[in-house]
Amino acid sequence: MTDAPLPASPAAQPASASPSPPAPAERLAGAGMPHRLSPWFSVIGVLLLASVLAAAFVQARQFALLNMAVHFQDDYLVISMHQVEVEYLRLREQLRRDLDRPSSNTLQLRYDIFVSRVALLGSDRARRLITNDGNADNSVMRDIEGFIQRADLYLGGEAPARLSIQAAQVLLGELEVLDQPIHRMLLAASHRVAEQVTERQQQVRQHNRVSLALTGFLLAMVLLFGTIALQQLRKLERRRRRLEQLADQLRDARIEAEAASAAKGEFLADMSHELRTPLHGLLGMLALIKGSPRDPRAREWLLTADASAQHLRHLLDDLLDLSRLNAGTLVLAPGPVNLAALLGEVQALLAPAASAKGLVLQVDVAADLPACARLDPTRVRQVLYNLMSNAIKFSDHGAVWLQCRARIVAHEPAMLEFNVSDTGIGMDRDTVARLFRRYTQLDEVRGARQGSTGLGLAISRNLARLMGGELVVRSAPGDGSVFSLRCPLQALPDSAAALPLPAGNSAAALPAPAAPAARALQVLVAEDHPVNRLYLAALLARLGHQTRMVNNGQQAVDAAAAPSAADGGPDDGQAHPPYDLVLMDVHMPVMDGVAATEAIRALPGAVARVCVVAITADVFADTQERCKAAGVDELLTKPLSHETLQAMLARRFGQAGSAAAPALQTRDPVATDEPNLLDHATLNSVCDLMGRQQVPTLYGGFFTQAEDAARRMRDAMRDADPEALRRSAHTVKGAALNLGLPALAEAASLLSREAGSLAAAHLALAVQRFEEVTAATRSLCAGEGLVADASRP
Amino acid sequence: MDRRRLLGLTAALPMLVHRSVCALPAANLPVVLAVSGKVHNTNQDKLAQFDMPMLERLPQASFSTHTPWYAQARKFTGPLLRDVLAAAGAQGSIVRAVALNDYWVDIPFDDCQRFDMVLARLLDDKPMPVRDKGPLFIIYPFDQHSMLQNTLYYSRCAWQLKAIEVL
Repeated sequence: MTDAPLPASPAAQPASASPSPPAPAERLAGAGMPHRLSPWFSVIGVLLLASVLAAAFVQARQFALLNMAVHFQDDYLVISMHQVEVEYLRLREQLRRDLDRPSSNTLQLRYDIFVSRVALLGSDRARRLITNDGNADNSVMRDIEGFIQRADLYLGGEAPARLSIQAAQVLLGELEVLDQPIHRMLLAASHRVAEQVTERQQQVRQHNRVSLALTGFLLAMVLLFGTIALQQLRKLERRRRRLEQLADQLRDARIEAEAASAAKGEFLADMSHELRTPLHGLLGMLALIKGSPRDPRAREWLLTADASAQHLRHLLDDLLDLSRLNAGTLVLAPGPVNLAALLGEVQALLAPAASAKGLVLQVDVAADLPACARLDPTRVRQVLYNLMSNAIKFSDHGAVWLQCRARIVAHEPAMLEFNVSDTGIGMDRDTVARLFRRYTQLDEVRGARQGSTGLGLAISRNLARLMGGELVVRSAPGDGSVFSLRCPLQALPDSAAALPLPAGNSAAALPAPAAPAARALQVLVAEDHPVNRLYLAALLARLGHQTRMVNNGQQAVDAAAAPSAADGGPDDGQAHPPYDLVLMDVHMPVMDGVAATEAIRALPGAVARVCVVAITADVFADTQERCKAAGVDELLTKPLSHETLQAMLARRFGQAGSAAAPALQTRDPVATDEPNLLDHATLNSVCDLMGRQQVPTLYGGFFTQAEDAARRMRDAMRDADPEALRRSAHTVKGAALNLGLPALAEAASLLSREAGSLAAAHLALAVQRFEEVTAATRSLCAGEGLVADASRP
Repeated sequence: MDRRRLLGLTAALPMLVHRSVCALPAANLPVVLAVSGKVHNTNQDKLAQFDMPMLERLPQASFSTHTPWYAQARKFTGPLLRDVLAAAGAQGSIVRAVALNDYWVDIPFDDCQRFDMVLARLLDDKPMPVRDKGPLFIIYPFDQHSMLQNTLYYSRCAWQLKAIEVL
């Protein structure tokens, strides 16, 4: 019951109509995105780190290069090396000047300075600058050092020899030879330094370039990193918002679901109460009748019980409608409708109720309306009936007015408007607001007084919306109420209204097929429940149709596939004509009705096209869907009333099916051989009860009685004594029913019922039929071994 | 060239002795350093002349340091330059150091205050002959201040120093 769509409250509808939250998969994908991006993060992080390290390396190299330049200061060294040449020149000059007095202090000083300068050339760095050029420079150094060695003899530190003029001249000669080599050596050294400077500059430039490139790369990486981080942030923000939204939606959904659940519970409580009330009535009346069946008030009790049962059925019909509306399986059947006739019919239906309360019932159709419009008459009638009933219920005096007019509003399609106004107690604002939401009565007082279900309004509004219209209400306490049903106005030419407005409660729009010659239908009934089988058999027999009963879907399929096969059924033994109709219970053992229908539809030949009508006690949309999918032509709900079955037959088979209850029919006696001569369920229970040995005696005695009764009937007929005839028939009828011989019971019942009213000719026919049925039943029973042939007179 | 000649003359007349009117005593031995320019304590014609003993009498400083001119760290000993300048009563912004070969370089006066610059007369405790960059050598304490280890300061280290002009 919990998953039934039946009690879906209006509160549940917004829940299902609200935009559904994103699918879980999508949410998961959204959640997965940041995880997928993290490798990018690490890759870029590693690149960043690498480029920072590279930049640091380059800068360290540059720093080292700079330090090296400073440390070696080659460029400065070259200046001081040139001082060697300068001092050489000064020394030579001094020596030339002092040749005549070579032992002057000035010469000594110049010589010392020159030597100190030459010593500078002995340093590692200076030597590197010089010796790079090859051995030639080394020889120059050796020449210079040789000169110093010789000059030191005269100009050295301690106890020098006195420099004679000759010696000075020799020294000058040696000194002059050194002029060009010293010059070349120093020039080469300065060139080398220039080269080194250039090289270093190039290195620096190269480093700068690399450094620039690295900086650029670093910048790009940082930008990329930032962009990705920004995107991640945005994504996180979006995700957060989505989660928030989702949480909101979930919260709303939860609130709605709770409200729907509460409404459902309330609805169930209300409905169980509603169903219990007529059921109590029904049970109470039945108990009374059971206690004293012969009480003269029994008929009154029966009528009350019937009213309760009708009320119960209305409730169930309403529930079914509501369920279909909620499940969206209710399909409208619009057709041409004569508006005046429709309203007239509603008026005729409700006039007794109105006059019973002393109310004036007035129906007006606006003159400018087309005579004929396209509507679903059944549903419009249902809504109007509901509205009018309410209006009558809630009005104690005054009038109820049904008015039909066209509603023309600019820029909107024309609507047909039915206004139902009353002079009743009216409703306050709150009540109006709750009107379509609550299924129960307007309030406790009214509910107690009216005993209505309140389902009607919810159904009516849903129906109105289904039609593309609306149901609105205007009301004020004490001022009465106006309910307006609006639906699209689709005018039709008058000729379309030629079709008579169908009577009955359904199938209004299904054009009745041309009525075939009245004939008995071959009906295959698949039903597992014995009571239902009995009921259906009786119902169909009463409608004059020939029935074959099977217990489950498998048997139904077998019977449909090979109608002539002998399977122990009550009416086999000879070729069976094809079935016109299969009545299929949905829930059966072995094979259910849906599967059986599918199997029948899959059969080869014309038999697959047999009309299948399913019968079910449940009203779940799911069942209806499954039946439709399986190929069921129509779905009837239990309890199946005589009228419903008859209407269905009329719809499907024209007048043949709707032949009125078994008033004496001039039927071919041969055709009556078949239907329900034996009720095996009852027969079996009799057999169980009496024991197999007693049965032939029992049935033999009965048939003897029946034949006696037939004789007495003929006597009574001759004597024109209908009472005797009735008595005879009545005794047979009860026994026949008890022994499970329905056809015989029916024939007897007819006679006992109509003995006093039928014309003599008809009465004779009926007696003849009784005799035929008796004979047929007896031979059938003999065939089954229920009665010994020998006992037959 | 005038200056050069003048300095040459000073070097050529080491034995000239003058009583100074100021506190600076006259140089008795051959003059090894002549401070000229903005000096107050002169002992010879606007000059403050020093012989080696005069320098020895000033407070002595000594440190070892690496230099571009020697492969290893060497020990330099001598009076602080600022003491020598103070003894000469020198006040100016630039100290121009002049070498025997007429090389000269300008040293900011501040350097003498900021750094313990030594007017080295001993290298590894031995007097320096002219051949070995003597007799006087201005040395910065390179190893104490790494900021000094660049060409600018190396170039300010005048060796074979013979005169100072205070500008």
